[in-house]
Amino acid sequence: MIADETTLAHLMRKAQGGDKRAYAVLLDECSNWLQRYFRKRVPPQQLDDLVQDVLMSVHRKRSSWDPDRAFMPWLAAIARYRWVDHLRKVYRTAEDELGDHDAAEESEEEAVMARMSLDRLFVHLPQKQAEVIEMVKIEGLSIVEASERTGQSESLVKVNIHRGLKKLSAMIEKAE
Amino acid sequence: MNTRNAALIAELSDELEPVRPMRAREGYAVLALAGAVTIGAVWMVAGLWDGVLTGTASPFFVIINGLLLLVALAAIGASIALASPHVGNRQDGPRWALAMLGVMPIAAIAMMLGQGSGVASLIDPHAFTCFAAGSATSALTFVALAWWLKRGAPVSTTLSGTIAGVAAGAAGSFAYGLSCPIDGLAHLGIWHVLPVVVCGALGRIAVPRIIRW
Repeated sequence: MIADETTLAHLMRKAQGGDKRAYAVLLDECSNWLQRYFRKRVPPQQLDDLVQDVLMSVHRKRSSWDPDRAFMPWLAAIARYRWVDHLRKVYRTAEDELGDHDAAEESEEEAVMARMSLDRLFVHLPQKQAEVIEMVKIEGLSIVEASERTGQSESLVKVNIHRGLKKLSAMIEKAE
Repeated sequence: MNTRNAALIAELSDELEPVRPMRAREGYAVLALAGAVTIGAVWMVAGLWDGVLTGTASPFFVIINGLLLLVALAAIGASIALASPHVGNRQDGPRWALAMLGVMPIAAIAMMLGQGSGVASLIDPHAFTCFAAGSATSALTFVALAWWLKRGAPVSTTLSGTIAGVAAGAAGSFAYGLSCPIDGLAHLGIWHVLPVVVCGALGRIAVPRIIRW
């Protein structure tokens, strides 16, 4: 089952009221959604950890969802925040290859998903910053390898990663 | 679903407690109360100047205090919104309001240069008192916003802190400004605007430290 916005918002309202069954269903749906959301943006080995980080943040910060507003953009903002945090912390090793786990976009809310997607954030980064973040933080290349591939000096690769991550963290709620 | 996620979901569901959702209108009510208490305190301690009612206040008094109020309202609204994260949140209001307020110190300095008077002409005997009192008066609004943000889940902690500081500084300076009878451009444009800058910087430093994910 792929729950829609209305169902998830309804479940979250019940969860805020203390309904454990509704909460379990909600977290299950969130977990499935997050798996799809992060699939192309983290290595498979790290996917579960990141999904669990987000679920725990959802749990701790569940009172911050205003029932007068939509649920999915709230979840996506927390997911983006955790993902940028994850990029900062995790330095992937070379063996962590990204798998080709592209799932069909089953959701009927594709337009909404596209606005909230992680790829959308990269569009706003200068090309030089986006490409070194992709190479080093997501594909797992070393600084030296990224430097050779892009023609940027090693120190420039580091500077561009640092600046790019800083920009990403400032754009977490950006939709356009 | 894999077993690790299933175990976590079971554990989180099991420990679920009811929570009171953070509705924006509740945030506005808290901040309105903080504002009312602040103005009440200024009234009791320093008294409110009746220059507007008697027609003796200069236009600068109304313009600059009006802009301070607008900055405060825009920044308070933005802070409340930032506590509940949302892809699609846009917080341009405080930037534009601040830009408009920023014209005032520029105008004061331009006038000083145009008249050929020195920097000393910008410093009147009450300058530091107004700056210090305006900053101190921002405390209650600052505490209310910091508390709201700490309860919430701001994903842009530095921005949230800066905007909260700006909101508090503008609200405090507006409230204290209601008691200040010095209504010249140099005094209001510099010394009543400076608390906004200082509180914004303080918020940027202090608020991210108290936000816990």
